[in-house]
Amino acid sequence: MREFNSINDILDFAIGQEQEAVDFYTKLAFKLSDNPAMCEVFEEFAGEEMGHKKKLEDIKQKGTYEVSSEKIMDLKIADFTVTSAPDSNMTYQDALTLAMNKEKSAFRLYSNLSEKAPTSDLKSIFLMLAQEEAKHKLRFEVEYDEFVLKEN
Amino acid sequence: MEQDVKYLKFKTYLNAYCPHCHESFNFERKELKQVIFNAKFKGEDIDVKLSPYLDVFESETTVPIEEGEVLEDLICPHCKASLLDKNVHCTECGSPAGEVIISALSKLIPFYICLKKGCVWHGLSKADERRIKLKIPRQIMPEQDQTLRIQNHQEVPYGFTTELASLEAGRCLQCKKPLCVLGCPVNVDIPGFIKLMREDDFDGAAKKIKESNVLPAICGRVCPQESQCENKCVLGFKEKPVAIGRLERFVADFERKMELVKLPVIKNKVNKRIAVVGSGPGGLTVAADMALRGYSVTVYEALHELGGVLTYGIPEFRLPKSIVQFEINYLKELGVRFEINHVIGTLLTIEELLQNFHAIYVGVGAGLPQFMNIGGESLGNVFSSNEYLTRMNLMKAYRFPEYDTPMPRGNKVVVVGGGNVAMDCARTAIRTGSNEVYIVYRRSRQELPARSEEVHHAEEEGIKFRLLTNPIKYLGTDYNTVKGVECIRMELGEPDDSGRRRPVPVQDSNYVIDCDLAVVAIGTSPNPILFNTTPNLKRNKWGYIEVNEETMETSIPNVYAGGDIVTGSATVILAMGAGRVAANAMHQRLSAS
Repeated sequence: MREFNSINDILDFAIGQEQEAVDFYTKLAFKLSDNPAMCEVFEEFAGEEMGHKKKLEDIKQKGTYEVSSEKIMDLKIADFTVTSAPDSNMTYQDALTLAMNKEKSAFRLYSNLSEKAPTSDLKSIFLMLAQEEAKHKLRFEVEYDEFVLKEN
Repeated sequence: MEQDVKYLKFKTYLNAYCPHCHESFNFERKELKQVIFNAKFKGEDIDVKLSPYLDVFESETTVPIEEGEVLEDLICPHCKASLLDKNVHCTECGSPAGEVIISALSKLIPFYICLKKGCVWHGLSKADERRIKLKIPRQIMPEQDQTLRIQNHQEVPYGFTTELASLEAGRCLQCKKPLCVLGCPVNVDIPGFIKLMREDDFDGAAKKIKESNVLPAICGRVCPQESQCENKCVLGFKEKPVAIGRLERFVADFERKMELVKLPVIKNKVNKRIAVVGSGPGGLTVAADMALRGYSVTVYEALHELGGVLTYGIPEFRLPKSIVQFEINYLKELGVRFEINHVIGTLLTIEELLQNFHAIYVGVGAGLPQFMNIGGESLGNVFSSNEYLTRMNLMKAYRFPEYDTPMPRGNKVVVVGGGNVAMDCARTAIRTGSNEVYIVYRRSRQELPARSEEVHHAEEEGIKFRLLTNPIKYLGTDYNTVKGVECIRMELGEPDDSGRRRPVPVQDSNYVIDCDLAVVAIGTSPNPILFNTTPNLKRNKWGYIEVNEETMETSIPNVYAGGDIVTGSATVILAMGAGRVAANAMHQRLSAS
């Protein structure tokens, strides 16, 4: 089991997670190259994850971060949707379901870690990371809410 | 002796009184209300009868009067006093005018009638006219009794009678800069056709609409007028707007029932061929527009019946299929060729069509069902709205066993969604004899995307609305058929950056609605069949075709597209609007080459 001894350890882990997401979406984009529109979507998602990674790298470099008291809205759409294995016939709806469920898993991971963190410093960095993931999840949920659930 | 009755055009209003004896000029003959005067014409005493409606109406006189001839006097039939006011002359033609008093706006207003036949002048200020028109209520369209109609699939509204249509047409202010026209996606000349209605020229009114809308009987029934033309009606700012859609429906039905539809003569035949993929409203518009311009048009339809969503989607009780058939027959008579059972993308590709046609219009709609991606959606008796309505409407399952398709029927039915399609599914289900039908919608009543008329009809028919409720899982029996829908209550959250209050679940508020049939009506997405063989047709991330909005041309030259396959699920009239734009662009391109 992985142990975190410092804030930098945690940030390294989170940066690694973001990089994994970048790789995941890039691979998916490559796999779906016969579906140009979806390929573009996953390239866009990979780009967004790249942005998240850069943000964490900046935090690591500066050594400062803020835990906002702002409560991130949770539409809980990811809680009720079921993802299916990506294939060449997948639609944008499937892509959104996949993305928000990935963000939900990350949010849960950091939330659990923050509960178990032994010091307040570690707790707060996990909280900050959880909040970031909640924002990412909300971005996908809002899009799903706006377009997929237009008539519901 | 039978009197020679001629017609005289005057304007008058309900409840006209003599300014001298204050007796009413109104009387009723059977159900027909009229206003009667005595008059002098060429030295003779005659009677003049007027219809009591606002504006121009045919009136009877007992002596023939030619157009442009002027009455010498207008006389009260009660006190025999002259109504001629020597100080007032018609501002239009300078002829003498008779004064009456009319009762409107809870007061008595002097009102002058020009005595020249054919003059439409009346001496009432525009402001008074406007205020008086505001007092005429919007006419109610008669419809089937709500308890009877749920036992049949016949059309719910009967349409206006001639009298109701005339009254409603009289409400139009005939604005010089009509906003209603701007609200219509195909810019029907609304004041123009209503003006003709007021002159009792219903046939002319239908022809006027057809100058810009080839499917008026359909649009009059299914267009969301309340958010388009009627939403812009000036009367609607203070009172209810003119019932434009119902008037449109009335004149289109009148033209059809009286067999007044005439085929236009197509003078210039163009030796160029157009293919239309899909026979929905957009495709039919392109077909008609191009056929009228002399092109040779072939429409390819994937199903065995023509009409697209008008046939497989909209139920009989909202749009009788005989009307759709009538409009299609009109196109056939125009020379449009229809090929049914032709799935473009498998039987023929766009590339192959381009070898035989000069231009192609893709109007295939968005026919792929959309689900919520929640658990249990693959259980038996969980239908997509597409499948449910196709079975019921296209395959006529409600007439099983006369037709082969069995009727999907449940005792308790849950329909998910709040749009027109959801209302259609719920209202169809109640007509199959279901005991309880629920609409489950996760936002509040205010956000219901369905037309208010449809919601009203659904409620009248006993559909139960579970608002601010979201399905999160379908529950199954041991035989894998649905037995209930687990739902969660929702509340509207704080406004987000866009200012919208999004629905968020209420913690631990889950409950189950028992059901044995569920229909998911949350929208549709594009069917991939066409694109499998045409990968170079550029699409957006939602899978809809990308077009140049000014011409509706796609990434493939001479291939145009419009309707739901470009915009996602929208309305019949928007699809027709897109078809019109594409037809104009096509014609411009082809006539230049």
